[in-house]
Amino acid sequence: MLAIDVHQLRKQFKVQKNREGLKGALLDLFKREHTEVTAVKDISFQIPQGEICGYIGENGAGKSTTIKMLTGILVPTSGRLLVNGYVPYKEREQFVRGIGVVFGQRSQLWWDIGVIESFRLLRKVYRVDEADFKRRLDELVETLQLGDLLNRPVRKLSLGQRMRCELVAALLHQPSILFLDEPTIGLDIVVKTEIREFLKKLNREHGTTILLTTHDLQDIEALCSRVIMLDDGRIIYDGGLEELKERWGKGREVQFQFTDPIPLAAVSALTSGLDVRWTKENEVTAKVWIPRELNVSDVLSRVVGSSAEISDIKIFETNTDEIVREIYRTGSPEAKEAVRG
Amino acid sequence: MRKMGFALSLFREYLANYIKTKLTYRADFWVEVFSDLMFSAMNLIFIFVVFTHTPALGDWTEAEVVFVYGYFMIPYGIFSTFMNLWNFSDRYITKGEMDRILTRPAGSLTQVMLENVDPPSLLGSLVGLGIMAAAWAKLGLPLHWYDPLVLIVMVLGSVLIYMGLYTALAAISFYSDAPTGIAPLMYNIQNYGRYPIQIYNKGIRFLLTWLLPFAFVGVYPASFFLDRHHDRVMAWLTPVMGVIFFALGLYVWNRGVKRYRGAGS
Repeated sequence: MLAIDVHQLRKQFKVQKNREGLKGALLDLFKREHTEVTAVKDISFQIPQGEICGYIGENGAGKSTTIKMLTGILVPTSGRLLVNGYVPYKEREQFVRGIGVVFGQRSQLWWDIGVIESFRLLRKVYRVDEADFKRRLDELVETLQLGDLLNRPVRKLSLGQRMRCELVAALLHQPSILFLDEPTIGLDIVVKTEIREFLKKLNREHGTTILLTTHDLQDIEALCSRVIMLDDGRIIYDGGLEELKERWGKGREVQFQFTDPIPLAAVSALTSGLDVRWTKENEVTAKVWIPRELNVSDVLSRVVGSSAEISDIKIFETNTDEIVREIYRTGSPEAKEAVRG
Repeated sequence: MRKMGFALSLFREYLANYIKTKLTYRADFWVEVFSDLMFSAMNLIFIFVVFTHTPALGDWTEAEVVFVYGYFMIPYGIFSTFMNLWNFSDRYITKGEMDRILTRPAGSLTQVMLENVDPPSLLGSLVGLGIMAAAWAKLGLPLHWYDPLVLIVMVLGSVLIYMGLYTALAAISFYSDAPTGIAPLMYNIQNYGRYPIQIYNKGIRFLLTWLLPFAFVGVYPASFFLDRHHDRVMAWLTPVMGVIFFALGLYVWNRGVKRYRGAGS
């Protein structure tokens, strides 16, 4: 069964145009001009139950708007969407009982009272049975190591501690889908890792479907089997992370450091016949870019086998950051493909 | 009905959290109670000052005006307890806290109301009841067995009128993204409602009776108990107007929520 089913989803906002200067402001007072901004442009995707899906894109690409439509906060302008078998904005109260939501920038907890009080209140709001609540809370507190934090007021928690509490708050009612909007924003590497491990465990043990937006691609690498990439309100990539790397990876780079200065022409001559590109870093260092189709060892053997003496070799694997930056820059992966072909 | 019961059970929980919060800021709590009471006292003193200059307003005596004011305080206190929505537009719309409200399985208006409950305002209702009782005795009004029951119905009607109007007012923030100047205007008009409406001119009377029916949170329901100004028809219109205006408020709110557009990312 599909956890999330989205067809031709669109969201338009009316934005007021503010004219310039005092005269403009006065004119605005009497006659407002509006422009229509389309934040999400007819996107479609399906997410089966039990999948962890990453939703990435630049700021303003429409990620949060999509998440807000999926969680029933915003009403879409057009299109069909079905989450957990519900149309989110129509049967909101029924629907939200089956989902959990964590917005990294916004707290669900009461600021001035102990965390546990917030949890108790949420138990009531979600009508969770006392025994279930206890079992669930114990389990979450243990895996997230919150034991001694429970009685502290939220304002006295560190960001990492708060974030872990937010996760508990979103999971007390055992939702089958968890939406996370930038869950690791501003956290240190230790807490980030902890949270990633926790999410993996949650997905493995309870089969919870997870949809997360993030700017940290390591979140994606650690968690997601699938990535949806958004640009300017449109989906520009939807598929596996490995495939993304493979198809749009920039190849690899090998850096050689020679003992003696060597001209660029000389090193290029070493690999004549191969489709590689040399660049010079400084007098003794040169870098070679090797496309994916080519074996690194072929290039290596030619260079190492030559008369030039080598003092150091480094191999750079393309990381996801670079791929994604490249895709953002060129607009779409297809466009990039066309340029290369 | 089941929804109502659920809301009431939530009220208990929110109240408990309110108390726990307030216990951390005790000074704040007492300042609030004190300023609420001072505010009511000032209004009452104003009435007394006016009557040192004139024996009657229209044909209303001091005790009658005080009686109406006492009545007004009862629904107003209850309303203020449950609908402390003065910062709604700023907190929930501009800062986007409505996001959180909408991802929880309870009515959105119910949650907003409960998150802002302000029980000290109930003290104002008690004081109002006291003022009304004192004026009752001074006027030598008879006390019928049904008077307390009628009072409850009238107060409920008045509370509903207030809630309806202010729900609609809060919901306006869903339509216009800049906070409007309507709230202070409403607040000023509402203050006219606590004095006998007969002392105003026709235009204001019409406004206070049918458009922004603040007269139903004061003189009309109170007139049921007064023998000289007894107006049975207008008095019994109070619960009717209450239901109508509350339904209107809910309607505007429910439509407004659909237009909510969130804030930032």
